Amino acid sequence: MAELQGLGAALSEAERAGVEIVAVSPDPNERSQKLAEGLHLGYRFLADRDLAVTRRYGLVHARGGPSGEDVPRPATIVLDRNGVVRWLSISSNFQVRPDPADVLRAVRGLS
Amino acid sequence: MTSTWLVILSIALALGAPAAYALLLRVAVVRNHPEAYVLAFAVATALAGLAVARARTRRWPAWTALALTGVLLIGGSWFNFVGARVPVAPTALRVGERAPDFTLTDAAGRPASLADYRGQKPVVLIFYRGYW
Repeated sequence: MAELQGLGAALSEAERAGVEIVAVSPDPNERSQKLAEGLHLGYRFLADRDLAVTRRYGLVHARGGPSGEDVPRPATIVLDRNGVVRWLSISSNFQVRPDPADVLRAVRGLS
Repeated sequence: MTSTWLVILSIALALGAPAAYALLLRVAVVRNHPEAYVLAFAVATALAGLAVARARTRRWPAWTALALTGVLLIGGSWFNFVGARVPVAPTALRVGERAPDFTLTDAAGRPASLADYRGQKPVVLIFYRGYW
């Protein structure tokens, strides 16, 4: 969540218009809605309640949640206009998320 | 430095460091160095130890500070170095290959697919959890 705020703050208006930021989490939609409104960043929050998509991507941290439930491995993936992966970062410590400057560099490098 | 001042400094550091970390979580350089709060707990524990050694009469404040900072040091170390580890596993993602398509619903219940953006815009896809 803090990571999304940091990335939003690093983006200029023009950059925000030129890229779609899609945030996927198992959070219920109501929580995502609140988060989306609070951030005013125009992110697309998508709910993956049963982690089906997260699992298909190979990004499930099995029994990694506070009550032993499956949770997502934090990951940031930059896709070009054709949906091809150009840059990715997967956390090995869930407190650590990519620096917005690195994400932006990857986005700017797409041209 | 007197024992009392060491106790105050120790507790201020032990409580201030995690508070500052939580407040500055959106700042990447702070968020991405969680070992800094473990280091702060270690320094706070050392200060409390010094306070115990220097206490002449009333020793319980120094011992209390040592117990508190010691618990934070052990708990914080475990959380950062063990609890927060995410095991490495193979993913379906390769740089240079297309990401698997999917359809999910957004907060308003509208479906959204990765394919919607194809030919339109680059996408930053973020899988996230928790407060970080």
